[in-house]
Amino acid sequence: MKNSIKVERAKKNITQAQLAELVNVSRQTINAIELGKYNLSTILALKIAHVFDQSVHNIFELEESDWIS
Amino acid sequence: MKTNYLIPNQFKRIGWFLFIIGIVLGMLFLLFQLDDINLFNFKIFSIAEQPIMGKTVFFSISENNILDEFIGLLLVIGALFIAFSKEKSEDEFISKIRLESLVWATYINYAILLISIIFIYKMVFFWVLVFNMFTVLIFFIIRFNWALYRSKNQIKDEE
Repeated sequence: MKNSIKVERAKKNITQAQLAELVNVSRQTINAIELGKYNLSTILALKIAHVFDQSVHNIFELEESDWIS
Repeated sequence: MKTNYLIPNQFKRIGWFLFIIGIVLGMLFLLFQLDDINLFNFKIFSIAEQPIMGKTVFFSISENNILDEFIGLLLVIGALFIAFSKEKSEDEFISKIRLESLVWATYINYAILLISIIFIYKMVFFWVLVFNMFTVLIFFIIRFNWALYRSKNQIKDEE
């Protein structure tokens, strides 16, 4: 899964730490999501989208490899 | 994140305190054979016991050196507190690291036990079993904290 959190953060000019606080998770979590090392829960995805005032689809995008189990 | 199987973060300190006392007493116990000191002998209630070469007795009162029991309690309760108290920011990512670490610790622990079953005999195997009481938790604590440390370090690399 690809995500554009880093880009959205830059647009809104907020740091990983600030975003983490807004959605009530640790900073490691935001960092791991940005690096594509952790597939977040639906709830957290919705919260992040809410912070950026966007729909989830605009921030998170499926990749080809996500269809292969 | 809401979890109902973890205890509050403050227990981590208490856990380390109990565990370290347990380790120190345990080392002293093994090094100086404190088993022989009468000071720690108390009358105890036992559900079951079997003297060497004797018959098993159920529900009896007998005398025992309670130091090793005390050390065992310190180590187990201490390690449980350290392992299963919440992190300051316990969230879904940390829960995932927690789960992975627990599975990993269980694998390693039983891998060592399997090797010990095959290659270690008699009294040495008894000592393997003694240590095995604590090793799942110890392996978990090491692996979990190492993984947490690594994920924190990754942030520094990003900056």
